Amino acid sequence: MKRITQMAWRNIWRNRKRTIITSASIFFAIFFAIVMRSFQLGTYDHMIHQSIETYTGFLQLQSPDYFDEPGLDNSFEYSDELLNSINNHPEVKIAVPRVESFALASIGVKSKGIMVNGIDVEKEARLSDPERNLVRYRFDSKIMDEVYKILGLTEDEIDNLKIYENASFNSLNKISLNCGIDDQEILEKIGKITAFEGSYLKENDDGILVSDRLSKFMQLEIGDTLVLMGTGYHGSTAAGLFPVRGIVKIPSPELDNKLVYMSLTRAQEFYGMENMLTTLAINLHDNSEMLVVQKSLSSNLDNNKYVVKNWEEFNPILKQTIEGDSVGGVVFIVILYVIVFFGIFGTVLMMIAERKREFGVLNAIGMKKRLLMYVVIIEMVFIGALGAITGMIASSPLVYLGNKFPIQLSGETAKMYEEMGYEAVMPMASFDPYFWWQAVIVVLMVIGASFFPLKSIRKLKLMKALRA
Amino acid sequence: MKVIEIKDLRKTYNESEVKVHAVNGVTLDFEEGEFAAIVGPSGSGKTTLLNMVGGLDDPTSGEVFVGGTKMNELKGEALTDFRLNNIGFVFQSYNLIPVLTAKENTEFVMRLQGKSARDCDARTEELLKSVGLGERMNARPAKLSGGQQQRVAVARALASKPKFILADEPTANLDSTSTETLLDIMEKLNKEENITFVFSTHDARVVKKARRVITIEDGKIISDIRKNGGEKINN
Repeated sequence: MKRITQMAWRNIWRNRKRTIITSASIFFAIFFAIVMRSFQLGTYDHMIHQSIETYTGFLQLQSPDYFDEPGLDNSFEYSDELLNSINNHPEVKIAVPRVESFALASIGVKSKGIMVNGIDVEKEARLSDPERNLVRYRFDSKIMDEVYKILGLTEDEIDNLKIYENASFNSLNKISLNCGIDDQEILEKIGKITAFEGSYLKENDDGILVSDRLSKFMQLEIGDTLVLMGTGYHGSTAAGLFPVRGIVKIPSPELDNKLVYMSLTRAQEFYGMENMLTTLAINLHDNSEMLVVQKSLSSNLDNNKYVVKNWEEFNPILKQTIEGDSVGGVVFIVILYVIVFFGIFGTVLMMIAERKREFGVLNAIGMKKRLLMYVVIIEMVFIGALGAITGMIASSPLVYLGNKFPIQLSGETAKMYEEMGYEAVMPMASFDPYFWWQAVIVVLMVIGASFFPLKSIRKLKLMKALRA
Repeated sequence: MKVIEIKDLRKTYNESEVKVHAVNGVTLDFEEGEFAAIVGPSGSGKTTLLNMVGGLDDPTSGEVFVGGTKMNELKGEALTDFRLNNIGFVFQSYNLIPVLTAKENTEFVMRLQGKSARDCDARTEELLKSVGLGERMNARPAKLSGGQQQRVAVARALASKPKFILADEPTANLDSTSTETLLDIMEKLNKEENITFVFSTHDARVVKKARRVITIEDGKIISDIRKNGGEKINN
């Protein structure tokens, strides 16, 4: 065995260039496949994190009819007992009660249909954390002229800032990343000029938080009062006056055009549905256990009163978007590997064709064809492993760094990302199974590419081989 | 004791609807310890005969017995195993494994036989010393001369302790000095260890050393002469 392995290792270096070229093709295929897939999966994780983990929750408890007919009349009764029964599940990280409905918002001559999200102010901070999205800086175009004049910015910096005119920011860090301004002093000055006051809701607050785009459409300022009117529980009339406490920038442009947060008690009062909820958003410790937890929670609940839905059910568009995009990536990787496969196949074919006589001699002196095939397989495994291991090693630091420190986009690209509702970052997935699968794919490719050539060893005609 | 028995061996090739009888009814025996040369012009059938005796080629008809075993009945791995344990081969163009050293090439067949590293080491050293390559054991074939490579090939052929050694034109690619050295070594091994050697050759120097000379023409044996007062057989 040792001698066979040694022989195989030395054999692959008989044609050094060919071995290096074949291994290099595997190296590059693995490297690009890992990096590309890591970016893809990292982006999907990030999309899920933004849309699901920090907004809707991985699971939602609803009334059985709510899924088909979402409305206040299909809400359910909320009690501490129910909340405890959910929170007591070992896999549940947090359960957050919500009342979600619609209303007509109006101020002055402006009015618009909006979405109302009644939240438990304290608990929601641990899920969607609206306070994090509070607008703290606004690049009003009038103020920005002043910024350009007094700060002595470079042309590039001004160009980057101009892209963001009328934009809102949650932090100075975000301004720095998006606008590409590194100078702390300048940032602080910009912060002072563009500062926007606003505060988060308090428990049982009777005020509201308004989404950024909606606030701009309605020309709302902090302290303004918004009139909300709508249909409450069981057809009752819902109407009220709500002072604006703060503006929140919601990553999704669609929601940013229409969302209003108010405290849960105020929302229940507004819609006339005390102790009722439309949804209970649930996040988990381990998201991969989602389906198991969904099943286990469902089995512990009265299914006539409650159902547990997972995010793929209540957000099929996100699921389909990810699946559709993922297929594109997989197709690219398949094409990459098919090209490499034929490279490996050609190498095995040549290796066998040029050593026909040697195989004949080895068989003549007593080496079984089985053992000959074994030597060729080991040679191919060596070539495959060389490419695969070096490819994995070379891509590891990139994957690690890309995961720990995602690429922050700036300028036009960042704005484009944010307009699509995504944070302007390009994270990479960690060392998940996709990483190790590349090695498995190479092993399968090597075995597949060796299959046909190995058959020619099995059918080797001794005399023909000796005369080759 | 008979090591090889050949009975009415024939090999016919069908070339363009014309039958060519490469070996045409050869019957022959080789005793243990013989040092025999099969001679004849090119295309006379000597290599084909040797290939069939060595189990490398299938006869059209006839039988070959090696140590009492009918070799024609063996197929596939059984035949490969039989060759491994009973027959040593020396080829015209040496055919050493280029990536293995002289020592590794020699012990290779013993490893195939499943012998331990210790047994292999001892016998390999002994064999390479006996062919005069004790100092070049760690050299790869590319670093050895043609004569040295052929001596390694002889050591390899002997390593498995075969019943006999078949050497097909072993001196064809060697200069006269290397040929003399190689023949002396093989003759010495034949005399001292009673190893049977069967050559196919054109080389007069091999014929001179051989104690039995079988002449073959058109696939038939036309003479079989034992030099130590032996007989002449016409097939």
